[in-house]
Amino acid sequence: MTFSYSFKSAFKSLCREKWINLLSILTVASSLLIITLTAFFLYNVEIIANSLPERFSIVSYLKDGLSSEDTQVIIDTIKRRADIAGLKYISKEDALKELQHTLKDTGYILEGLTENPLSSSIEIKLKKDFVTPSSAKHVAGEIKKIEGIDEVYYGEKIADAIHLLRRSMQNMSVIIFLTISSGVVFVTYSTVKILFYRRKQEIEIIKLLGATKGFLRMPFLIEGGSIGFFGGLIGIIGALLFYFAVTYRLSMVIPMLKTLLFPFEILVVLPLIGIIFGIIGSLIAIGRLKL
Amino acid sequence: MITFQNVSKYYDNQTVLKNITFTVQKGEITFITGPSGAGKSTLLKLMYLAESPDEGDIVIGDFHLASLKESQIPYLRRSVGVVFQDFKLINSITVFDNVALTLRIRGVKEREIRDIVSNALKKVHIRHLSDSYPTSLSGGEQQRVVIARAIAAEPLVILADEPTGNLDPNTSIDIIRVFRDLNAQGATIVIATHNRELFKGSGNRVLKLDGGNIAGEEAG
Ligand SMILES: Nc1ncnc2c1ncn2[C@@H]1O[C@H](COP(=O)(O)OP(=O)(O)OP(=O)(O)O)[C@@H](O)[C@H]1O
Ligand SMILES: [Mg+2]
Repeated sequence: MTFSYSFKSAFKSLCREKWINLLSILTVASSLLIITLTAFFLYNVEIIANSLPERFSIVSYLKDGLSSEDTQVIIDTIKRRADIAGLKYISKEDALKELQHTLKDTGYILEGLTENPLSSSIEIKLKKDFVTPSSAKHVAGEIKKIEGIDEVYYGEKIADAIHLLRRSMQNMSVIIFLTISSGVVFVTYSTVKILFYRRKQEIEIIKLLGATKGFLRMPFLIEGGSIGFFGGLIGIIGALLFYFAVTYRLSMVIPMLKTLLFPFEILVVLPLIGIIFGIIGSLIAIGRLKL
Repeated sequence: MITFQNVSKYYDNQTVLKNITFTVQKGEITFITGPSGAGKSTLLKLMYLAESPDEGDIVIGDFHLASLKESQIPYLRRSVGVVFQDFKLINSITVFDNVALTLRIRGVKEREIRDIVSNALKKVHIRHLSDSYPTSLSGGEQQRVVIARAIAAEPLVILADEPTGNLDPNTSIDIIRVFRDLNAQGATIVIATHNRELFKGSGNRVLKLDGGNIAGEEAG
């Protein structure tokens, strides 16, 4: 098979129909840019969501007047659980000290107290995989049943919110990805179809000269792939501009943006994604054509 | 080499060819003549399956057209070189590329193509037009590009539909000489024409088409 001919023929056609091709390349580029930005947001939400479980804890207050043996039994019971990453015992004396420390100058509030009103507590960290609303609730419920435990608190609302944010971000990304990629496939599909009809006469002639389907199809596949490839390259440029705009310009005004991370890996695969979508589009177009 | 057995062809109820039977031997030159609309072009189109027959069998070399798989059609077409009555040149590429195309389709290597193409163009005296585009050529020059394309790959069978329709008498004689040379090298040739000068006194077989039938056969 004469690949060099197919390539030459494809690139000639790319140049000859430059407006159609340029337009679809730019469309593909913008679409791939949207995919990149979605990936960027998803990536950062994941990072934030992943860092939050480390801060998440369940606080269980112990009943007053437990002996240190009883307390130790409770600690041991909790420690044996498989879903626990660690725990910290805070005696009521420590709690008071901490409170005094927090209140600092306003510590006089506590001066009238004759006895410590605070309870001893155990702060429990869950293993990462168990920081979900359902298992946090489950763990909290079971701990509450332990003899000597008074009350159990955990960041119910926060856990829910993070979970929801992450879930909806993931779902949205999937929807965006599917929509945009069908769009890219459709753009290359229509472009290849237009190019085909513009060259219909030529194709009829080439057929009469004895060309196989493969020979006729190859230039269109290369053309569709190239539209995707160049779309990907321009998409990279767009993504880099976005990156520099965010890290250098915007972060001067909003320093928090400095902590955002940019997944550079996706830039490398952008032209590859473009080629794959482009070829899929042309394959569909060609499959529908009478060659 | 070419066999027609009771071949008929209809275009929406109009009978163009009726019960045509004939054989062209390997290495023979055969002329097909007849008035305009007699069905000469249609007869040739059946041979490279630009049209398919409604009845009858056609055999071209090893290809039995009635049972030919679609995937085999390109190979049938590669074994015949066609001079199309309406040229079928691609206007967006040069004369060289038009002729080279038929070789690229056959998978001939690029470094061999250059020589083969310029040889073919030389045979029809238009090598100097190699880099021109078809639209900038005269009718006769375009016709010779078509002939160069048909003979470049040295096919076993050459089908020429009115190959001298746009040529002056001298050039016509020249072109017929090119076909005779190829014939001497073993090619089987069928020429459709109403120019009697082409076969007069040649002794070649002439099939006369009229009203969809072979009205007669003579020696030119
Ligand atoms: N695609 C077609 N559809 C319908 N009728 C057709 C078609 N092609 C040819 N015909 C008809 O078939 C008849 C034979 O046409 P054909 O082109 O074979 O004639 P010809 O002998 O080659 O004529 P000429 O000497 O003018 O080239 C004509 O009456 C023509 O109108
Ligand atoms: Mg004709």
